[in-house]
Amino acid sequence: MAAEKIGANFKRNMFTENQVLRAILGICSSLAVTNTMRNSLVMGLGVAFVTGLSSLTLSAMRNIIPHRVRMLVQTLVIAVYVIFVDLLLQAYLPDISKQLGPYVGLIITNCIIMGRAEAYAQSNPPLPAMFDGFFAGLGYAMILLMISFIRELLGFGSLFGFQVIHTAPENLWTIMIMPPAAFFIIGSMIWYISARAAKKAAAKAK
Amino acid sequence: MKKGYSYTILFMVVITALLVFALAAAYEGFKPAINTNKNLQEQRAVLYALGLDNNLSNDQVVSEYEGKVKPMPLNGLEEVGGVPVLAHVEGGQPVAYAVPFEGSALWGQIRGYLGVTAAKDQATGLVFTYQNETPGLGGRIDEAWYKEQFRGLPLASGAALKYGAQPDYQLDAVTGATQTSQAVLRTLNKALAETVFTGEVE
Repeated sequence: MAAEKIGANFKRNMFTENQVLRAILGICSSLAVTNTMRNSLVMGLGVAFVTGLSSLTLSAMRNIIPHRVRMLVQTLVIAVYVIFVDLLLQAYLPDISKQLGPYVGLIITNCIIMGRAEAYAQSNPPLPAMFDGFFAGLGYAMILLMISFIRELLGFGSLFGFQVIHTAPENLWTIMIMPPAAFFIIGSMIWYISARAAKKAAAKAK
Repeated sequence: MKKGYSYTILFMVVITALLVFALAAAYEGFKPAINTNKNLQEQRAVLYALGLDNNLSNDQVVSEYEGKVKPMPLNGLEEVGGVPVLAHVEGGQPVAYAVPFEGSALWGQIRGYLGVTAAKDQATGLVFTYQNETPGLGGRIDEAWYKEQFRGLPLASGAALKYGAQPDYQLDAVTGATQTSQAVLRTLNKALAETVFTGEVE
């Protein structure tokens, strides 16, 4: 495989092959943490950081990992980085650590991380693998922020905790705070993106 | 590349040992900072429940805490679930107590302190030191608007706290988090019954 340029890697992970919208990975956390933009941002950055570093490490070891236990090793490496991020937050950003509570530990269950390790890191050199992981995490963060923008604005009337719609709480859209709202929003986004991709493919085929 | 069983097993043992060692080293390195943060959080929480935290800096929290807060038994109870009962003491007399509570909410335990005046007629504040509720839903019990409702809340022996408009106060639950909101009141009412008034509340 010819080496992919960083710019192309970025574009692929952010847009054309966005992990949430095109690969439908990382959906569970997309439903759960997207009711406020702040939580989405920290979760997105946490995933980007862990995906980047675990892809780097796994790619560096790709030639010595026995093939039949590669998933065990992936899990092990990802778990180590997640615990590391958790400790780092507890030591230096205690407020954010408290806010995110159980979600930091749940980064490990994010399918995007193992997805990138399987799909890219095990067959590419360390540096491109790191960028690939990091960009995949950023693509995830971007989608999370888009969803939480809609949900926080309509559900709480605020953005990043700042009140922008001044109205009585009963005028706000309570379902936007609950997970089903994300379900509908992600569904609509996937629908739109897939329809567009299908149109493009059809135009190309002509 | 085909590799034998012994290589595979050896590889797993070595890599696991290496990573665990690295993690243990990282934990040892972070431990002092984590413990300092934990103590600070606990002290800040107690001050908040007692109504003494006015956006203090970290150093102020330590001096304020050491100057004003002392362990003091309430109704002969020195601790609740291993957490000491603390009091805001001035001139040797308690002004308010920080009553520890713990209970189970929707996803897990909640722990914290309820501040109660020495006369037991008012709450001075509510704080959570541990909660694992859904961020953005049940987790909103940890937001200021919810906790501030408890500042100056009238208490009376035998009267349980309830949501909604009550004769002399108004208490709002968190929208979309009924289970967590109810669990908080259940826990607080239990603390009122067992620690503060040592009698049934209804």
